[in-house]
Amino acid sequence: MTYIGHSGGGPAMLFPATRAGSEKYLQVHFIRSGGDMTSERITKIKASKYFGIILLVALTLLFWGIFKILSPNNFGTPKLLIGYFQTSIQYAVGGCGLYFIVVMGLFDFSVGANIVLSSLVGVLLSRQFGYWGLVVGCLTCGTLIGVFNGFLYSKLRIPSMIVTVGLMLILESIANYVVTLDTSGFPGKLTSNDILAFSHAPWNYIVSGTAFFLAFFLLRFTRIGTYCKAIGSNEFVAKNMGINVEKYKFLGFVILHFFVGIMALLTVSYGRGMLAVTGMSSMDRNFKPLMGTFFGVAFSKYGYPVTAIVIGEFIITLIFNGLVALNVPTTINDFVTGAVLLIIVTLTNRGRKGSVVK
Amino acid sequence: MGEILLRSENLNKHFGITHAVKDVSLEFAKGEIHGLIGENGSGKSTFCSMLCGIYPISSGRFILEGKELKVRTQVEGNHCGISIIVQEMGTLPGLTVAENIFLGEEERFMHGLIKNTRAMNKEAQALLNEYGFGHINASSMIEHYSFEDRKLVEIVKATYFNPKIVVVDETTTALSQSGREELFTVMNRIKNDGNTVIFISHDLGEVLENTDRVSVLRDGELVGTVKSNAVSADDLKRMMVGRELNSRYYRTDYDKTISDEVVLSVEGVTVPGQIENISFQLHRGEILGIGGLSECGMHEVGKAVFGASFDRRGSVTLKGGHAVKSISQAIRHGVAYASKDRDNESVVVADSIRDNICLPSLNGLSDRGILNNQKLGRFAQTNADLMSIKMTDIGQYVADLSGGNKQKVVLARWLGKDSGILVLDSPTRGIDVKVKADIYALMSDLKKQGKSIIMISEELQELLGMSDRILIMKDGKINGEFMRDPKLGEKDLIATMV
Amino acid sequence: MEAMKTKTVSEIHDEVPAVKPKMNSTWLRNLTPFFGFIAIVAVFSILTGGKIIRPENLSLMLSQVYVLMISSTGVFMVMTVGGLDFSQGSILGLASIVFCWVSHYNIILGVIAATLAGAAMGAFNGLFHVKFKIASFIVTICTMYFFRGLCKYITTNGPVPASMEVVALNQTWFKVLLTAIVLVVCFFVFHCTRVGYDLRAIGAGETAARFSGCRPDLTKFLVYTMSGALTGFASFINVIQVGSITGTAGTQLETKILIALVLGGMPISGGARARFSNIIIGTLTYCVLEKSLPMVFPVSATQQLVKGIIFLIVVALTIDHKSLRVIK
Repeated sequence: MTYIGHSGGGPAMLFPATRAGSEKYLQVHFIRSGGDMTSERITKIKASKYFGIILLVALTLLFWGIFKILSPNNFGTPKLLIGYFQTSIQYAVGGCGLYFIVVMGLFDFSVGANIVLSSLVGVLLSRQFGYWGLVVGCLTCGTLIGVFNGFLYSKLRIPSMIVTVGLMLILESIANYVVTLDTSGFPGKLTSNDILAFSHAPWNYIVSGTAFFLAFFLLRFTRIGTYCKAIGSNEFVAKNMGINVEKYKFLGFVILHFFVGIMALLTVSYGRGMLAVTGMSSMDRNFKPLMGTFFGVAFSKYGYPVTAIVIGEFIITLIFNGLVALNVPTTINDFVTGAVLLIIVTLTNRGRKGSVVK
Repeated sequence: MGEILLRSENLNKHFGITHAVKDVSLEFAKGEIHGLIGENGSGKSTFCSMLCGIYPISSGRFILEGKELKVRTQVEGNHCGISIIVQEMGTLPGLTVAENIFLGEEERFMHGLIKNTRAMNKEAQALLNEYGFGHINASSMIEHYSFEDRKLVEIVKATYFNPKIVVVDETTTALSQSGREELFTVMNRIKNDGNTVIFISHDLGEVLENTDRVSVLRDGELVGTVKSNAVSADDLKRMMVGRELNSRYYRTDYDKTISDEVVLSVEGVTVPGQIENISFQLHRGEILGIGGLSECGMHEVGKAVFGASFDRRGSVTLKGGHAVKSISQAIRHGVAYASKDRDNESVVVADSIRDNICLPSLNGLSDRGILNNQKLGRFAQTNADLMSIKMTDIGQYVADLSGGNKQKVVLARWLGKDSGILVLDSPTRGIDVKVKADIYALMSDLKKQGKSIIMISEELQELLGMSDRILIMKDGKINGEFMRDPKLGEKDLIATMV
Repeated sequence: MEAMKTKTVSEIHDEVPAVKPKMNSTWLRNLTPFFGFIAIVAVFSILTGGKIIRPENLSLMLSQVYVLMISSTGVFMVMTVGGLDFSQGSILGLASIVFCWVSHYNIILGVIAATLAGAAMGAFNGLFHVKFKIASFIVTICTMYFFRGLCKYITTNGPVPASMEVVALNQTWFKVLLTAIVLVVCFFVFHCTRVGYDLRAIGAGETAARFSGCRPDLTKFLVYTMSGALTGFASFINVIQVGSITGTAGTQLETKILIALVLGGMPISGGARARFSNIIIGTLTYCVLEKSLPMVFPVSATQQLVKGIIFLIVVALTIDHKSLRVIK
C-alpha cells in the first residue's frame, strides 16, 4: 500500500524509533537460535523494562547534581524541589492529554488557545459561582473545545496540523470576547484569596494527581489506550481488526482538551488570572506540555508513558531553575529548552536505514 | 479424517485484469491438516485471504458447515471460527503481548468501560504457558521480542479460541527449527480437537511430513488433491508445473553463444540476512535469468548490483574497473533497475510521466546545469512513444496508469538514459499478456543492440523462454546454473530451487 | 483457448486509457487559490469602499509582503520535499541581530553575514533531520526554542540597533526590487535546474526518487540550508523596516508562512503538485487579508476570527483528497 501525504503511521511520523511498518527486511533467515538462548533473552528483556525508569531517574539526578554543585545554596534544596515539582505538574497534565493525540500521529496547535479560553471562562463563572464556577467552567469549556475540534477534524477531512491552526485563531478570538463579558473591573483576574486554593498544596496535587491517575487509567485499563496505540501503529490493520478509527480519533481530541481544561484550572490559579491574547501568541503555550509528551512517547516502549511525562517535565523545570540559580538571565530559558529537547530526542531516536523521515 | 467442514464453490478473484484465483472448488475435512502448495502466483495466499476476510470475493462462495460464509473483516472471520497466521508481521508494536493477543476481543475483560488489565494479562500468560511459550511475558511490550517470538504470539492469538479453521501461511520460513516444531505441535493439537489446519508452505518435504492431504494450485487453478502418504515430493513437483512453453512471447532462437566480454562482475557479495557470497559475471548481449523461491534472496541480488543494498559486502565491478557502491554511481555508469516493488521503488507514482522519464537523465539533458523544459518534454514524449505508453499526455500522473503502462514508463526512462546494463526484477508481474509480449520483444531488441540484461523472475516460464543462462538461488546462495536449451524444463529448475 | 480468452480481454483493455483523464478537475484546483485571491480582494474592496485598492494604500498593504515572500520561498522548497520548518521566526530574529551588528561596519557585509548566519542555522536543522533521522517537525520546534533563546539572551539588556544609514534604505522600490530578484532567481532554480525536479520527486516518493538517482539526504540538507539563507537575507529587509531588533523579532513568522502557503494552495505534504505560484498568490492573499481586516472589523479579535474561518474554508476547498490516503 502506498501512503502518500503526511501520513506514515502514528508516532512513527514523529518518532521513527517507534515505527512499526513492515519489518520483513529484518527477517534473519540463516541465524537459527536454539533453546538455550531463551534465558539470555529473559535477562535482556527484564533489563530493558526497567531500563527506562532507571534512565529517567538517572537524568534527574544528573541535572540536579550538576546544578547543585554549581550553585549549592540557591538550588535544589528540598523546599525548592517541591516548588519545582509544583510548577512542572501543570505542564505534565497537558502533556498527558497531548499524548493521546500524538500517539495516533495527530497534532493540535490549539492547545494554548484552549488554555487561555478555558481559563477565562472559568474566571468568568467563578464571579457568580465561586469554586464551582471555576472548576466547571474550565473543565466544561475544555471538553467542549475538544468536541468542537474533533468534529471539525472529521467533517472537514483536513490534516490535524492544519485544521488546528485555523481553530487556534478562532479560539483566541473567542477568548477575547469572553473577557469583555467579565464586568468585574478586573477582567480575567482572580483577585480574592478565596478562589486560589488550586494554586498551592494540597489542591494542586489533588487535581494533578487525579489527572495523572485518570490518564494512567485510560491508557492501561480501557480500550481507548489500546486502540489509540493500535491506530498510531498501523491504521489499516487496526481498521481491519474492527476498530472504529473515526470514533477513537474523535475521542482523542475530546480527551486531549479535557486534560487541557484541567491544566487551565491549574494555570489560571497559579497565575492568579489569565490574559486574552491575539496574534497567535497562545502558540507559546503549546510547547511546554508537548515536551512532556515527547518524553512520554520516547519512553512509551517501556510501558509507562505517564511516569515518563511527569518526570520529564520535572527535569525540564529543574534545568530552568538551575539556570536561574546560576544567575543566568531568564532569557536563556528557551535556548536551554530547545537544546535539552534536541539532545534527548537525538539520543532516544533510532532511525532505520532506508526509512523515510519527513 | 471426518466429514467435510469447509467447501469452496467456483471461487474467483480478480485484481483489475489479473485473474488470480480461477474457479476453485476445494474441500477441507474436519480434523485434518491440509497442505496447499503451488508456485508464486498460483493463488494460494489469495484463496486463503478471501477465506479470512482480508480480501473480498469476486465471485463464488465458501460453505462452512453447510452454511454460506460471509466475512468482511478479519475479526468477523474470527467470530466465524476462521483465523490466519500471516506471512508478514501480524502483531502491532506499541501494544503489550496480551493486548495483541486479545486485540478486538476485549469485550470479555470489560466491566462497563473498564478493562480488567490484570485479568487479561493473567489469561494471556496462562495461554502462553499452555502453549509452551512461557518465556514470553504477557505484560511486556511486544517490541522487546524477536521476530520469531512475535510469531509465536501470533500463533497463540490465532488459535486460542479454538477456531474451526486455521490458515498457516508460509509461517515456517520465519521460524527456527525449534519454532517450527512448536508450530507443528500446535497444528496437531488443533487436528486432534477435530478442527482443520490449512498449511501453506514451499518446503515440500515438510508439507508431506505434516499433512494428511495436499492440494496443488497452478496459475490460480486447482490441479488436484492427493493423500500425503501416497505421493512423493517429485510427484508434487510434477503437479506444480506442466505448462506448454508459449513460444509466442519468448525468444525463438536457441543460439548458445555468449560473448566473452564481461560487462559486470559480481564477487563475494553478501548482505547479512539475505544473500551470501554471490559471485557471477554478466557478458555483453547476454540475458541472465535469476530464479528461485520468493524468499531465496534473488531480489536482493538485483538491489546489490544496483548499489541499493545497505550493508553490502563484496564487490560489484563494471567493465573499465568502475565499482558500483551507490545508486547514483550505478546510474552514472549505465546500470538500470526496475524493481519488483514498482509503486514504491521504480516510479514516483505521485508524479507525472514526463518527470519520471526524465529523472535519471537530467544531468545529461542539462546544458551546464540549465534545463530546457521543452527539450525535456520532447525527450519524454519520444521515449514514451517508443514504448507506446497508453496515456492522455506526458503530464498525466503515473498513479492513473495500468500496471503494464507503469512498467512501460519504467522502461522508457532507462531507454532514454541508454543504459547498457538493465537489472529487471519481475518485469512482467501483474501485467496483461499484450504488454508482456511488448516487453519481451524489447528485451530481444536490446540484446541485439549489445545491451546486457539481468532478469530476476519468479515465473519459470519466463526464465526458460528468455534467458541465455539461468542461475537458481536457494536460501541466499546460488544453487544451480543452466544454459539455454530447448530441452531445459521447469522440473530441472525446481529441482535446485526447493 | 485460455490464452485467447485473456487476449481478448486485454485487447479491449488496452484500447481505452486506463483512467479517464482528470485534467479538468486538477486544472480547476490549481486555479482555486487564484480565484480565492480575486474573491478576497473583491469582497474587501467592496467592504472598505475601495480603500484597499487605492495606490496610496498599496505600499501599506504590501509592507509585510517582502519578508514573508522571501522566507516563504525557502519554506516552500522545504515543504515540497515533504518537510516542515517551525524555526523560521527564530532564524529571522537571530539573523537580523547579526545584520545589525555588522551593519555598523559595512551594510553589504552585513547582508552577507546575515545570509550566512541564516544558512548556518538552516544547516543545523538539516543536519539533525538528515543525519539523526529526526522528523523535521520535532527538529525545527527544538531549534525554534534554541535560536529564539539566543535571540532573547542577546537582547536582554535592550534592543540591538542597526546602523543609522540602514533606515534610509527603507524605500518601496528597493524592497520590491530585492524581493523580485529573489523570486526570479528561485523560480529559475526551481524550474530550470534539476533542483526543482529533485525536490518534487523526493517529496512525492522518496524511495522511488532514490532509485532514480536522486540523493534525498544531500538534497534535504541543502534545502534546509537554502531556506535558512533566504530567511537570513529577508532579515535585511526586516531590519531596514524596523531599525532595531528586540527579543521577539520574527515571532510567529513560521505560522504566518504556513497559513500563507496553504492559502496559496500548497499541498501540505509537498510533492509534485507544489507550484511556485503557491508562494506568490498565498503571500499576497495573506497580506491583503491581514491589512484589510482591520479596516472592516476594528476589533482585532473579530479580525482574527474572520481570518481563521476564511482559512478553514479555503483549505477545505483546496485540499487534494486523492493524494492523502490517510489523513493525519
